[in-house]
Amino acid sequence: MKVYFKSLGLHLKSLLEYKASFITTFLSQILVFFSYYFTILALFTRFDNIKGFTLYEVLLCFGVIQFGFAFNESFARGIDRFDKLIIHGEFDRILLRPKNIILQAAGYDEDFAKVSRLLQAIIVIVIALVNLDIAWSPLKLITLLLMMVAAVIVFFSIFLLAASYCFITVQGLEVTNVFTDGGKHMAQYPIGIFKKGFVWFFTFIIPYAFVNYYPLLYFIGKINNPIYAFSPLLVFLYLIPCILIFYRGIKKYTGAGS
Amino acid sequence: MSYIEVNHITKSFKVAKKKSGLKEAFKSFFKRDYKIVEAVKDISFSIEKGEIVGYIGPNGAGKSTTIKILSGILTPNSGKCKVGKMTPWLDRKEYVRKIGVVFGQRSQLWWDIPAEDTFDLLKDIYDIPEERYLKTKEELVEKLNLKDIINVPVRQLSLGQRMRCEIAASLLHEPDILFLDEPTIGLDAISKQLVRDFIKRINKEKKTTIILTTHDMSDIDALAKRIILIGKGQVLYDGSLQKLKNNYANKKYIKVNTKDAINIKMKGVLKKVKEKDGYAFIIDSKQLNISDFLNVISKQVQIEDVEIDNENLDNMIVNLYEDLKI
Repeated sequence: MKVYFKSLGLHLKSLLEYKASFITTFLSQILVFFSYYFTILALFTRFDNIKGFTLYEVLLCFGVIQFGFAFNESFARGIDRFDKLIIHGEFDRILLRPKNIILQAAGYDEDFAKVSRLLQAIIVIVIALVNLDIAWSPLKLITLLLMMVAAVIVFFSIFLLAASYCFITVQGLEVTNVFTDGGKHMAQYPIGIFKKGFVWFFTFIIPYAFVNYYPLLYFIGKINNPIYAFSPLLVFLYLIPCILIFYRGIKKYTGAGS
Repeated sequence: MSYIEVNHITKSFKVAKKKSGLKEAFKSFFKRDYKIVEAVKDISFSIEKGEIVGYIGPNGAGKSTTIKILSGILTPNSGKCKVGKMTPWLDRKEYVRKIGVVFGQRSQLWWDIPAEDTFDLLKDIYDIPEERYLKTKEELVEKLNLKDIINVPVRQLSLGQRMRCEIAASLLHEPDILFLDEPTIGLDAISKQLVRDFIKRINKEKKTTIILTTHDMSDIDALAKRIILIGKGQVLYDGSLQKLKNNYANKKYIKVNTKDAINIKMKGVLKKVKEKDGYAFIIDSKQLNISDFLNVISKQVQIEDVEIDNENLDNMIVNLYEDLKI
């Protein structure tokens, strides 16, 4: 972990070599983000609610998912872009270090411009919370924190799965984007508004529903069963097989030429 | 039992068959044909502690694959490998603490920041105690003459300077074995000399075992007493460089400068080429004594100048590759 944070520092140092470029990408990220944001706002100027979810409930959901995604893009960029690591042969170097492979890969590349998105996601969450009428209790606070952590974990798991796929073939990665980017776009809305098949898929195959749907129901008071508050914990279990699959993949690793 | 024991290692890759043309590319998008390529088949050798071994072979012979297996990056399909008591790919975390690897074509230094920052990170990666780290670093800085270059962002360094930093980075944790994959590629003569001298020095002083791959035969000549030659994934020769030279170095290249025409038919003259200011001969010195040869010629013509060369190592390797059909 110490090595991870130290390499984070070095990435920052590298970045400061190119200040202007950093500032422009940082700002451009704001534009991208707000185009998503305004889509949702525009939707709600025509409809009061989507299947019973109000604007700010959806925004909370959106904020949490964006938070998880941006967190991984910022601080685990190496896993997100694992195909690059393999193609350029940098993964060889990782295997030569006496440290945890996944942490090393995560720290191999960082994208601090994406921190901009992370901040924006937090702002959206705050806006949603201010406008929602939440009956706060300690358990509700825990629920919210669990949702945010689970959002980080779920995307990390999926990035790991996508990375494992690189061991089989370094091409055809667009397939996995369906589940990361595509999944992210769907999960910005409470999963419950979609058809049953989707709900099933995003509950059992990729557990987005445990991040932003079941706990959300408890959080906004639609359901009072406290089990729902702890449902994000299932996402942690989901991480385990993803890690195992990744290590299986390493055994299949064949390198990228000399 | 030797320090490094490699027994019957095999590694094959699945490679997608690529055909040219857009139509074929489109087809292969849906259905790919694969073929199995055996990069390394049944390789065995052993290396003693403190040896310098030159690992040579043409491109695609399986050199890098062997290095990667030996350094724990790749898991072979079959075969055994023991270094000390460890198997590289099984005891990876423990094993890599004992080895250093330099890839001549790839950098492990951070591009935009000074090499010293990378060194500091390596200190934490290998959990090197502060005191020992400072001592080793100082030593390497002195021996590789890095004082003025470790504080400059790596991207501003010349290739030779960078390579010296790369080697230092691979030795900070004082490994027992050093793998050098084409360490002098693209370097100028002075940098090459510096790198070679340094490699010799650490081998002597620290008893570091060194395994070196290269296409530059002068590297091998300067460093390795023993070579392992591989081709098409198999070991073709394993032994002393001198012995190989004796077998192949009986061909002498002789250049005779003269204005007159030479007519000579002797056993042992393998080749005669007319050149601008004379003739070039290749002589088999086993069949024909050089002084005999010159004697005959000097009686025939007025010799202005003579040049005698052992066939150089590069030509020797080309001949060797041809003889072995690789």
